[in-house]
Amino acid sequence: MCQFRIQGSSLKIYEYIIRRLILLFFVLFAVSALVFYLVRGFPTGIAPWAPYITSRMTPEQIDRVIKAHGFDRPIWEQFFYWLRDIFNGDWGLTGTWAQGRPANEVFFDHFPYTVELSIFGTILTVAIGVPLGIISAIKNNKFPDHLSRIIALAGYSTPSYWFGFMLQLVFFYYFSLWGLPYLPSSGAPDFIVPKITGLPIFDGLLAGNLGYVWDEFLHLILPAFSLSFISLGFLARIVRASLLEVLRQDYITMARSKGLSERVVIYRHALKNALIPAVTLTGIFFAALLGGAMITEFVFSWPGVGQQALRAVFQGDSNFLLVYSFVFAIVIVSANLVVDVLYAFIDPRIKY
Amino acid sequence: MQSREEKVRKGEWEARIADLKYTLHLFRKNPLVMIGTIITLFFVALALLSNIIVDPNLAYASGYEGGMYRFDRKYMWSAGHIINWGPGISIYSGPEFFYLGTDGWGRDLLAMIILSIPVDLYNAVVIVSIAAVFGTLIGAIAGYVGGIFDEAILRITDIFFAFPGLVLALVFAAMFGRTMETLQLAIVLVWWPPYVRLIRGQILSEKEKPYVEALRALGASHIRILFRHVLLNSIFPILVQITMDLGGVILTFSALMFLGFSPSPSMPELGNLAADGYGHIFDAPWVMIFPGLVMLVISLAFNLVGDGLRDVLDPRLRR
Repeated sequence: MCQFRIQGSSLKIYEYIIRRLILLFFVLFAVSALVFYLVRGFPTGIAPWAPYITSRMTPEQIDRVIKAHGFDRPIWEQFFYWLRDIFNGDWGLTGTWAQGRPANEVFFDHFPYTVELSIFGTILTVAIGVPLGIISAIKNNKFPDHLSRIIALAGYSTPSYWFGFMLQLVFFYYFSLWGLPYLPSSGAPDFIVPKITGLPIFDGLLAGNLGYVWDEFLHLILPAFSLSFISLGFLARIVRASLLEVLRQDYITMARSKGLSERVVIYRHALKNALIPAVTLTGIFFAALLGGAMITEFVFSWPGVGQQALRAVFQGDSNFLLVYSFVFAIVIVSANLVVDVLYAFIDPRIKY
Repeated sequence: MQSREEKVRKGEWEARIADLKYTLHLFRKNPLVMIGTIITLFFVALALLSNIIVDPNLAYASGYEGGMYRFDRKYMWSAGHIINWGPGISIYSGPEFFYLGTDGWGRDLLAMIILSIPVDLYNAVVIVSIAAVFGTLIGAIAGYVGGIFDEAILRITDIFFAFPGLVLALVFAAMFGRTMETLQLAIVLVWWPPYVRLIRGQILSEKEKPYVEALRALGASHIRILFRHVLLNSIFPILVQITMDLGGVILTFSALMFLGFSPSPSMPELGNLAADGYGHIFDAPWVMIFPGLVMLVISLAFNLVGDGLRDVLDPRLRR
């Protein structure tokens, strides 16, 4: 995932970051050009100028709108018209599925929900995955190890949409049938607190509305668990493998021969080095969630961007899809960058 | 009288067979792998025999014409009938007995699941083999050649890693219509870059080994070195990846079908069958439960084999 091509060279870290930032712009340009060509080059649902026009416009006025945004030009010229428009802050309008609001506004209205879901999903993954990995490394080839292997394999063999519905079926429907305290099946409570950051739980805490925070939290549990189930076993396996690798090294034997207890050896000496690959994985996982929690958001009717993107896909709304893929690409590429740089800070052996 | 070269070749083959035998021995010792292999073989056999076990016309039958369906969709979900449609209960006074209940169209769910298995397996095999061959070839050449070509390929994979796959599926569906081939192409375009990265890393370390230099000194061409020696020596991680990806691709493919990219809502495919049930998850849960469960088992079987294969082929554990 990260490439250290110039190992051992004297490249400074800021030079490396600059190199990667240039790369980031290149990837962004290429991804948006590709997506632009794909969504605008072929007729898909809503015509890109459709939201700009109303039924009362005369044909001349419609022509003027089309000319102003370059919709009558060849596709590669349209791309530069689009670039000009987005630098002026005009990302185009959405179709009727989002009441024809500006695409970026729709996107950033829903983005905090996705961020919140991703944060909780990641926290759950780390909170369950890392201890599971440590236990299965300590009890290598014993019951906890087999358990973590089975959880990992089940995690990435489970169809995520199916698992989401099964969680709803058990923790909402059957729990309520059996008279047990049950979790809400889907959706999120209306945003009733004053909007500061847009993150519901955070804003709820700032406004001191604990009832709202609790409600939001209850709605988060099932989707967040559904997301983390896919990856927590995988994380546990990575932690296990790297901890086993570290425990084989000389300095651990040295620490043991000093007479330190096994507990101190593992938690004070080995774990620090063993968690480095886990950091990478968590970063990549978080980034993937920010853009890719589409299925889980669909299953739980979670009002995040993934669900909106899915609606845009079926409406053929090119403007929203362009915003979506643009932000998605930024998140993925910059997460890779952050993880690589973080790596160098945690592990002084890595040179760029 | 054998020539010296023949003897060497024979010895080489014996060594390879002994190695293979040892691999099989390791394979057999691992119970999880054996379970995975047996389940995989079972589903492959089921896929091959599916059209014999179940009348394939069931999938194309329409309840509104001809006698294939006994019931309308509207009866199917109406209150009071629903309990009767559950698994294992005969739903009307006929000889039929539906072990897993019926799907939303009133068809026997078990029969539909059996009909979907070949569709899913076939798609997974097609997608993974195209992605693996394409990615491996490109990655191998990039790793071996190096330089600007390598850099360019890496940047292209960067773009594909940062590309939302669903958008691709949509546009393909809009361009070429909602067919299986469209979906296969869309998934292949998202799944080939990891193979490039994987084989490239392997080749980079493999090509520095002394035997490559020896081969060069003997006058072997680059193409021969790459495809006869270096690539074959670094192919094992690719095999593991292919096995694991078969499970992953089945999930991805059926997820796309579930989200509504399917060519036809009545098509036998596990994701499609599950999609039929999600609107009725609380009143007719079996329509969703069983296709998903089968998908989980198939995917788990592939992953078990892949996981075991990784252990078996890991040189650190071998010796």
